[in-house]
Amino acid sequence: MTTLERDLAVVGAGPVGLYAAYYAGFRGLSTAIIDSLPEPGGQVSAMYPEKPIYDIAGFPQVKGRDLVAGLVDQVARFNPTYVLGQPARTLVRQADGAFEITVADGRAVRVKAVVISGGIGTFTPRPLPAGGEWLGRGLSFFVPSLAAHAGQDVVIVGGGDSACDWALSLEPIARSVTLVHRRAAFRAHAHTVDQLLSSSVQVITDAEVTKVLGSDDVERVEITAKDGSTARRPAQAVIAALGFTANLGPIRDWGVDIVGNRYIPVDTTMATNVPGVYAAGDITDYRGKVRLIAVGFGEAAIAVNNAAVLINPDEQLFPGHSSDAVPAA
Amino acid sequence: MPYVIGAPCIDVTDKSCMEECPVDCIYEGDRKLYINPALCIDCGACEPVCPVEAISQDRRVPTDQAEFVADNARFFTETLPGRDAPIGTSVNASELGRIGVDTELVAKHEAD
Repeated sequence: MTTLERDLAVVGAGPVGLYAAYYAGFRGLSTAIIDSLPEPGGQVSAMYPEKPIYDIAGFPQVKGRDLVAGLVDQVARFNPTYVLGQPARTLVRQADGAFEITVADGRAVRVKAVVISGGIGTFTPRPLPAGGEWLGRGLSFFVPSLAAHAGQDVVIVGGGDSACDWALSLEPIARSVTLVHRRAAFRAHAHTVDQLLSSSVQVITDAEVTKVLGSDDVERVEITAKDGSTARRPAQAVIAALGFTANLGPIRDWGVDIVGNRYIPVDTTMATNVPGVYAAGDITDYRGKVRLIAVGFGEAAIAVNNAAVLINPDEQLFPGHSSDAVPAA
Repeated sequence: MPYVIGAPCIDVTDKSCMEECPVDCIYEGDRKLYINPALCIDCGACEPVCPVEAISQDRRVPTDQAEFVADNARFFTETLPGRDAPIGTSVNASELGRIGVDTELVAKHEAD
């Protein structure tokens, strides 16, 4: 398997991880950003893309997805390597002091230091109770490519922002789009729901997809309403957008201390108990900790600048002001 | 900072909230569900799905439900009847399943 060689690994591509990668780039470090989700933004992208956030310094109001887009844009000039859709599985310190992180598909990233910005852990999509065995044969949890659904009958399951956004985005591309939601009320942003209801997307509420049918690939679904009546409709694609569960997962086995079943204790340099492994964001714990994005950004800067000195002991801890030192990139 | 489940849940226990919770921190007592304040991440996913509007943020609990803020916490920090130790934070709700007992406040609550 291929091994990527970078200076720093950032585990978790949420806002704090993206900002850590920015700071690493500013310090001249090459970075790999690893996340289990296929898109950057972590919890913000997965759960609140449409929620306005009011406590990001300098932004009186910013939508979750716009904040993530801004962070991705900010780090882009340093050209970090994204390893997305791949939960980090193992972290092993090698004989020469380097760390090797292995991700789910077997790829490895070899780095000099690590920043764990893993928030509340690995996000795993909730399975579709009716049809787990169809995964990869028409059933998916994400829409990495809208064009892949051109001409298809698409059935989307769920009532959150992702379900409604995908339904609207696929409406002009797919042959038909049906959205099936178990309840009458939607969790998605009200404006998105209004758009959906005035679109050509067929919205079926108080109903569930109870069977996924086909031979090799998905061909139809059975939809059961609350009153017990069933209907079948053609579907070459079923997209289950039922939300996520989060679990700290493999990080528990990395030799890093964990407190309260969830948090990583750090010192004032954001160092964990493992030299060379730092943490930042919601996952850290210390006296007086406040779990906000605003705090996580500061911790990312502390963690990365301390890691930079660890990697290159001749460097100063203070990075200089970004306004004075715009690196060529 | 957690969300809190109040009296409207008692004898209803619809459990839609348990399906939404991304961190599996809503536990089933006997007559009521309880959010573990040490595990809740304040995401709010549970609030809109409750059919009886029993869930609110602890900072915005209706005044007549204020006692349930401490009571949700008590479910996890005190030893419940018939148990050896407090539930604490080490076991997620789905691993524990139905616990079958309530706090004193809920157990004594008169049915509507």
